[in-house]
Amino acid sequence: MWGLNLPIVLALAAIGGVLVWRRAHTLVWLLYSLGALWAFFKFGFVVPIPQSVATIYLAITGLALVAYASSSRERLAETVQPIKRLILEPRYRLALAGLLVALPALAAYNAYADLTMPLEAPGFGREIHPAPPPEITVHDETVNMTTGDNPYLHYKADDPELYGKHLENGRRVYYENCFWCHGDGMGGDGMFAHGLNPVPSNFNDVGTLPALQSSFVHWRIAKGGPGLPGPGTPWDSAMPAWEKFLTTEEMWDVNLFIYDFNGFEPRALGQH
Amino acid sequence: MKLSVPMPVRLVLLVVGTTAFYMYLGQIVPQKEAHPPPPVLISAEMTTEDLVAVGAELASGKGQCLVGCHTVGQSGPLRYPDLDGIGARAATQIEGLSGLEYLAQSLYEPAAFIVPGFADGMQPIDQPPISLSEDEMKAVIAWLQSLGGTPTVTLDTDLGY
Amino acid sequence: MNRNRILFGIGVLAFVSVIVTVRLGGFLVDNEYRQPDRQVAAQEEQGETELTPRQQGIVDEQAADEAEARARPYEEAEYRTVPFVGSRVTVWVLAQLHLLFAAFVLAVPLFAFIIEFVGYVKKEERYNKLAYEFTKLLSVSFSMTATFGAFLTFGLIILYPKFTNYLMHIFSPTFLPYVLLFFLEALFLYSYYYGWGKFGPKMHLFLGFMLNIVGTAIMFIANAWLTFMMSPGRRDDVDGDGVPDFVSAVSESGALLSLRDAFFNFTWMPINIHRIIANVAFGGSIAAAYAAFRYLQAKTDEEKAHFDWMGYVGNFVAIIAFLPLPFAGYYLAAEIYAFSQTLGIQMMGGTFSWLFVIQAALIGNLFLGANYYLWLGMGRMEGGVHFQKFIKWLLIAIALCFAVWATPRYAISSVSEIAAMGGSSHPQLSYLGQMSAKNTAVNILILSTYMSFLLYRRTGRQSVHPHRQLLTRAQAIVFSSAAALVIFYGVYGYYVDAAIRIRFAIPQVYSVLAALVVITVIDLPLYRNAAQSGETKWGRMPAVSQYALIFIALSFTWLMGLMGYVRSGLRQEWHVYGVILDTSPDAYTPTLGFATQVVSVTVLIFFGLLGVVFWLSSLGGKKDWEPKAVADGGDRLEGGQAA
Repeated sequence: MWGLNLPIVLALAAIGGVLVWRRAHTLVWLLYSLGALWAFFKFGFVVPIPQSVATIYLAITGLALVAYASSSRERLAETVQPIKRLILEPRYRLALAGLLVALPALAAYNAYADLTMPLEAPGFGREIHPAPPPEITVHDETVNMTTGDNPYLHYKADDPELYGKHLENGRRVYYENCFWCHGDGMGGDGMFAHGLNPVPSNFNDVGTLPALQSSFVHWRIAKGGPGLPGPGTPWDSAMPAWEKFLTTEEMWDVNLFIYDFNGFEPRALGQH
Repeated sequence: MKLSVPMPVRLVLLVVGTTAFYMYLGQIVPQKEAHPPPPVLISAEMTTEDLVAVGAELASGKGQCLVGCHTVGQSGPLRYPDLDGIGARAATQIEGLSGLEYLAQSLYEPAAFIVPGFADGMQPIDQPPISLSEDEMKAVIAWLQSLGGTPTVTLDTDLGY
Repeated sequence: MNRNRILFGIGVLAFVSVIVTVRLGGFLVDNEYRQPDRQVAAQEEQGETELTPRQQGIVDEQAADEAEARARPYEEAEYRTVPFVGSRVTVWVLAQLHLLFAAFVLAVPLFAFIIEFVGYVKKEERYNKLAYEFTKLLSVSFSMTATFGAFLTFGLIILYPKFTNYLMHIFSPTFLPYVLLFFLEALFLYSYYYGWGKFGPKMHLFLGFMLNIVGTAIMFIANAWLTFMMSPGRRDDVDGDGVPDFVSAVSESGALLSLRDAFFNFTWMPINIHRIIANVAFGGSIAAAYAAFRYLQAKTDEEKAHFDWMGYVGNFVAIIAFLPLPFAGYYLAAEIYAFSQTLGIQMMGGTFSWLFVIQAALIGNLFLGANYYLWLGMGRMEGGVHFQKFIKWLLIAIALCFAVWATPRYAISSVSEIAAMGGSSHPQLSYLGQMSAKNTAVNILILSTYMSFLLYRRTGRQSVHPHRQLLTRAQAIVFSSAAALVIFYGVYGYYVDAAIRIRFAIPQVYSVLAALVVITVIDLPLYRNAAQSGETKWGRMPAVSQYALIFIALSFTWLMGLMGYVRSGLRQEWHVYGVILDTSPDAYTPTLGFATQVVSVTVLIFFGLLGVVFWLSSLGGKKDWEPKAVADGGDRLEGGQAA
């Protein structure tokens, strides 16, 4: 519901309810507010919110809590009371010792977590499959991106023999040109793949080829990385513009082949 | 036992600390330096294709079309109309105006026709502060035509303005 | 340390520095290359007149240099540079410092005059004293303003000679009136300050009034210079088609067409309004910081009571002026938008959009600080625990609005976060990043702060009005319907087109303003002659409240620096937008990180100088101050007598 992780949210609310019922101390409330909001931002959303925003929110929460605790002499005294007792009264000595160990341990863990965080490039919001132009021109032939389709696809039903020839030609084209990067098994793991950013497409992925029309794939083959529109940048892909090396027929054939090899059908017009 | 920091020290700490905090905020947001657009030169022998390239440069530079106003190929809640496919769409926007005339009118007299659902807000592009010259205007129109259509503008085309 | 010793120390320091300067100058002059004496002596002995090849080379070189210098024609410099910091940063810092002192000097007479006037009407001496206390800060600040003004003028002439010359071409007729007004300003300021208690009250009020008129006129003239740089012309429907056209005040090459259009240009009035309000808020907060400074130094209870009250009044002025400030800001932004789409988009969506996230943090801090001070102030009253329970809810409202306002439209996120979100905006949070949510948040912030103030006003007081229950309920209804209306428009904004959505800001603003006015009008009679459950104990404030006042002043100053940057930086590579291009190496727009560094350094310099101003003011005022007159303090600025 509303993109929230209901079990977590309900659990946090339940703890809050218990605190109301038990008439919890101000200090407990402050600690609960900070902890609960931290948990809410971290785990409360189905799609986790970015760390930077969560930090802003927690900073504001922290500021507000400090302001609340110190907004009158009485409240400040009340809030600090348990801390004073923890430090001064002998019977809490064990708890105090525990706290004195726990706090540096927490800081140490934090430092450890920061250092072992996997290194990540900053995000630039690059779109992997940006919106194509309405139509493209390949070798003086205009292909409409919405209605265009692979001209040889219909042979699959009409003329299986001719279809096989086109497939065979596509296989030749693929293993002469494409497998260096896209890999023997089309897993996007060819011998040059590790040096490229963005990485070559993985055609085995059910979210890639079946989600695209064959006209889109034709656009990407023909125009390559240099033809990517603004949202597909920065770091233009290293994919060459194959229209400069292949004939139109070869490009449609390899298009046919990569679908066939993986057992996928191109996305049909109007299909979601 | 009472720990006490003298008042002037506290004041200095407060002043320096607060200022440092705000400065820190300034450091953690994305950092971008914006340089003035380099001059784009249009020479007489440029073909339509050259004009498209110059127009695209003008659109994100001096012409400022893509600096926060228009988008190409985006949907959702937009500020101003998306330009994707404008080259094909232009001819059918206003009856009696060809695609070229429509694009020229939208640049010289933006208020003459407002795409339904959007607010008026564009300024004539031939006037300050953007002040594109007529040749630059033709380059931008060539670029617009290339978005979904086939550019036809040359430097000899008469825009009618 | 005793003051005489300090003054003696300063005297010695001045003497030493004069000597050091003279010696250093002498050293530099003497230190050019000379012939070793021995060689000269040897040559003279031998009677040789022939030069060695090296000497000959030096002589030739000098001759060549001289010939070149003689042949060089005079060229007018377009720009000059400053080593290390660069000319832009130099002018930037100087202008900002000038502006900060000027804002203070213009604002203090405004509320000093009002406070004096209140004292005159109510025949209460303590208001008069307070107004005088504020005015004491003026004379040193006035000199600082003039000094930095001169410094800035020289900076502009030296570093941007060609452009400064251009501004002279446009505005030279306004310089003489400016200078005359400045002269009058000095006259009125010093007669207002030194004439305290020496003129009749009406005459003295008249001087204060004239001081404000002249000060405002000076600011209006200076505003014309800088707004011209942003909007060199006006918008007017010349051809009668219902669409305002741009009427440029200058020709395409920059020659003046109409001084009138250049002066009364498009953004002139919006800046005037925004600056007056912001000046008062800023001046109030700086005056409150002065009071806080003195409070922290105070030894006796009387002193504490006095400066607590002064800090309260200063902060009160700051908050009252601060509440309409976001509206004035929106008006200014809307006018900039209306003047030039490009400027508007650049400001809110383009290069400067992150600046407004920082601004949100600053304004959130200001609201939080102002409310915090009010809540602490409830501790001054005897029996003031009644309203404490509301603080929690106010705080939650403020923190929520703060969070909404600080939510960026596009969050900074790592690759994996973008992958998880499926784009650069979060499916739920992106709603909070939009204008509808932010307008709603700032309106609720204003309402909450006003609520805090109302609660503070009520603490320890009991209304004796015959219809008090009815009136209180009416206030509650007005308050909650304004809040409901603001939230309704905020939510409804998501369901309509952008063109309609932007118009929703207006009913939101009006409902909040109307609510503030109506509630105030009801509140004044409601708490007139209210019964007080206990005395207001001025001076019974924890020290942290005074640091909060200084924090508010700091945030205000920093905010002014930041907003000054965006107003000026918005033009990007233009000196005069659309007309005169900046061709200096500093024409680019720096990163936000660099801009905030410059702002921070400026703020630190300003506070350093402010420390000097405060110190000097506290020196001058010692013997004039009479503790007895103010020790009976009570919060009666808004009307009402202690029962």
